[in-house]
Amino acid sequence: MLETLQFVYAPQIINGLSIGVAVILMALGLTIIFGLLDVINMSHGEFYAAGAFLSVTLMSLGISFWATLVIVPILMVPLGILIEKHLIQRVFHHKDRHILTLLLTFGIATVLEDSYKLIWGANTIKPETPIPGASEVLGVMFPNYRIFVMASGALLILAVWIVIYKTPLGAIVRAAAFDKHMSASLGIPVKRVYALTFAFGVALAALSGVLLAPIYSVFPTMGKDFILMAFTVVIVGGLGSIKGAVVAGLILTQLQALSSLYISPVWSDPIVFSVMVLVLMFKPSGLYGGMKNA
Amino acid sequence: MLDSKIKAIRIAEIFIFTCALLLVVIGTMLGDSFFIRLATEALIFGGLALAVDLLLGIVGLLSLGQALYFGFGAYMAAVLLKDYQFGFWSVMLAVLLFSALLGWLTSFIALRSKGVYFALITFGLAQVAAKSVYNTRALGASDGMVGVPIVQIATPFGSLNTGDPATFFVIVFITIAILYFVLKYFLHTPTGRIWNGIRSNESRLPYIGYQTAGPKRAAFVLAAIVAALSGALYPMLRGFVSPELMFFSVSGNAVITVILGGVGTLIGALLGSGILTIFKSIIGTLTVHYHIVIGLIFVIVVIFAPKGIIGYFADRIQKRTSHG
Repeated sequence: MLETLQFVYAPQIINGLSIGVAVILMALGLTIIFGLLDVINMSHGEFYAAGAFLSVTLMSLGISFWATLVIVPILMVPLGILIEKHLIQRVFHHKDRHILTLLLTFGIATVLEDSYKLIWGANTIKPETPIPGASEVLGVMFPNYRIFVMASGALLILAVWIVIYKTPLGAIVRAAAFDKHMSASLGIPVKRVYALTFAFGVALAALSGVLLAPIYSVFPTMGKDFILMAFTVVIVGGLGSIKGAVVAGLILTQLQALSSLYISPVWSDPIVFSVMVLVLMFKPSGLYGGMKNA
Repeated sequence: MLDSKIKAIRIAEIFIFTCALLLVVIGTMLGDSFFIRLATEALIFGGLALAVDLLLGIVGLLSLGQALYFGFGAYMAAVLLKDYQFGFWSVMLAVLLFSALLGWLTSFIALRSKGVYFALITFGLAQVAAKSVYNTRALGASDGMVGVPIVQIATPFGSLNTGDPATFFVIVFITIAILYFVLKYFLHTPTGRIWNGIRSNESRLPYIGYQTAGPKRAAFVLAAIVAALSGALYPMLRGFVSPELMFFSVSGNAVITVILGGVGTLIGALLGSGILTIFKSIIGTLTVHYHIVIGLIFVIVVIFAPKGIIGYFADRIQKRTSHG
């Protein structure tokens, strides 16, 4: 009994956790952007890829991996601000805002993905693992770098949570999400909050890209495969909810990891998407409501 | 505005018909098959875009998973033609009936939600279907199915061979034209008027005595049929089907097509498909990175001309008539 637990379930659970942290990092950016701006950011996966590619390029210039962890997100902030100010704001006040912003970010995604092919080529780049070796976790050998990603990812998630819910800055963002006109009349620069929040989400996606590049490799469509899972997590957790993203991220990745013990892993995608469809059918607002409710 | 839109649509209809006619005549004279086949493909994907426009432009529902029905039609046609030796008419009839059933069943899932949630749920449905087909050995899994035989179509005027590019182009053209005019006819029925009402203000309709659930379901089923019938033509053209036909890129392309051509005009779907196909084949010969250009055009259209090409010309006609 104990042995099955140790040798059958534990590796799956730990594996699931390491993927879970990665997915939650992606989902956080998505859900914050939706919670504040009501924008479904279809290009989020491409920002994630951008982070990974920039990190690879900077490393080839001799900059250390640890430095790119800081530099890349900072580089992405201006890009995020530009896209929000000059593209998204143009269709933001249209009556079909949801659909138009979704289409717009879909277009941006198309352009970005093909640009990566143009600049970096279609081949997979495998960056060197920054922390080599492996350690034993609960009786299972586990790569050190994955342990680092799990720990730092969990810290990041906690940090985002604290910023949004426990700081004056977070209060401003939540106020703007709750009622933008009231916030504006109280002197909050709503437009700047929008642009910066979008940029923050973009930077978060890029940071996940840097962190995960050594594990999942770097290729132009890397965002696409990953973003589907992140979207599912955001929807199941409730669009705009940070708590929902964390809870749903953990549940879904565990479901994926444990179900693969019983059925062929190729079916884990259909299972996860079926969960998403079921949630949308019976509780479209997800497990938890948006940022406004918390 | 309305008048100028009708005029713009009429011009587009005549334009497309003329282009098709010229293509067949010149194509057969020069013995070309490449461009005729390309145009046939444009029409087939135009049919899928028609279904997207019915939902998005007429009823106001953004479907990000219409490729589900397109792929269903394609796979069903491939299986029936290859393994059961069905003829053209029986394939089309079977696809019509079963896609209506599939559309009706899935409508109970998809129509529970509105707006963004509808977009995401259709996306999720198509994703489940695509991944399932991708994993199903009996349907060829990730390789798809190859070797779909060439079909002979029995007509009162004799047997038509779909292997001949020009003949098949005409068959596809007629099929898509029928789908187009059926949809256009529906717009002027009471149900069609309710569709317009749902797009403008759904919550208002019940107050003036109209049910919206029925008409929405009807539109959803109709869109499934149109997409599936277009899809059924695909294996007859290319001789194979693959799970990629159900992927998001196909659904997404259909949405791009509709936005480019003109949302809510129906003919815009066909026009957009033609333009995109020409575009891809021209830029595709220059560079493999044509997606950058298409993405940029799409972004520009969404920001500056959300009404698409037809909408742009309708505005031009409007201006000219109001000045003159």
